[in-house]
Amino acid sequence: MDAQVVIDSYINNIAARLPRKLRNDVGLELRTLLIEQLTAAADDVGRPPDDKLAIEVVRSFGRPEEVAARYSPRGFQVIEPEHAPAFVKLSVACVAIQWALTLPAVFASRTTIGEWWLGWGLGAFAWVGLLVVWFGLATWIRQRSPVDPQSLSRPWTHFIFWLPLAADWRPFDYDAFERRVELGALPLGVVLTIFFIAPTWFLELLTPAGTDTSWALYDEHFRQSLLPALIVLMVVRLALCAAAGIKVQLRARLEGIRFALWVCFVGLLYWTVFGWVIFGNPVVDALFKAWLLIFLLVNTIQIVVSFRRARTRVRVPKILA
Amino acid sequence: MVKASDNSTAKLDTELRRGVVVLAVLSQLRTAQYGYSLRQALAERGMPIEEGTLYPLMRRLEGQGLLLSDWRIEDGPPRRYYKLSAKGTRLYAELTDSWHALVATMDKLVD
Repeated sequence: MDAQVVIDSYINNIAARLPRKLRNDVGLELRTLLIEQLTAAADDVGRPPDDKLAIEVVRSFGRPEEVAARYSPRGFQVIEPEHAPAFVKLSVACVAIQWALTLPAVFASRTTIGEWWLGWGLGAFAWVGLLVVWFGLATWIRQRSPVDPQSLSRPWTHFIFWLPLAADWRPFDYDAFERRVELGALPLGVVLTIFFIAPTWFLELLTPAGTDTSWALYDEHFRQSLLPALIVLMVVRLALCAAAGIKVQLRARLEGIRFALWVCFVGLLYWTVFGWVIFGNPVVDALFKAWLLIFLLVNTIQIVVSFRRARTRVRVPKILA
Repeated sequence: MVKASDNSTAKLDTELRRGVVVLAVLSQLRTAQYGYSLRQALAERGMPIEEGTLYPLMRRLEGQGLLLSDWRIEDGPPRRYYKLSAKGTRLYAELTDSWHALVATMDKLVD
């Protein structure tokens, strides 16, 4: 193989990877430049150009795909680097949630692992595709029609594609939001606690006299063993939430104990749902457990979010506070 | 020129130089040059740039309207010659001013 053949093969390798309109022009220019370089290299070593020297020259120029990439116009970025971590986290979370919700059917022998994998298992990856489209659209909209940061108007795309912030943007105060939600939910918590303590008495209050409420009687074993612990946890948690909601200064001080109690309470409820009979009436028991599961799912998500927020929060030393 | 004593120094040195590559190229294209002669001219003046970086950069600058190019036969095989366009000349003047201001600032900082 002579030097010219080496250079021409190399150029053809690059040209094959270039956009059609650049192919010949860039190829021809590179060919001239490489021949020039080869001649200079041959002069330096004091021998006529040969294939070995040509290989050295093209090798120092770079792999054909790298060279072609340098000449090609920059491609469209589907996911911008600053959004890549969010994309990865969301993708993993979506796949994990779908698997967590559907895998129990395999353990309960309602389906085989093969059927699950070909259905829900592999299907979970559709979320990743959906997220690619979503993030890609956000990038495209941001590049196509950038929002004036001084503008107060917010197109609807702002809300689903987190476009640049409008002039009236304020950081979201999650603590204040959480406090308002807790205070708002306090009455509901009190009502639920009362229901937990005495369901039949509670129902008698709400229904006409003489209505049969025996279907809401607790299973005796549950009432004597686990219920007292649950009620104590509920009451203490309610009291702490009320204190932290009313007195803002107490929030930070009570944060740790409130979180620990919350985790204990939710853990105990999971155990109750999966390991205990709550109501004597099986239908009421099943319905109540279904409701509790939804409640637990919401609480589990809240616990994860709160835990993450607590871990990522900037802690100001007392001396600077 | 900073002598790269280790890998991280070499990387920082490369990064420092990367910022001025465009200005260096524009400075040499006030007169028409083809790729190889430009590379030689830069190397002779202490600014060696890898050919794999330099040649695509010239195409990119041409694509941005900063350079003009044409094929010529002058003392050898046909070559593509590049030269500053009017827009490139204006940008070169602006970048030169910025460069002088930056050097003055940096001199105050590092001296």
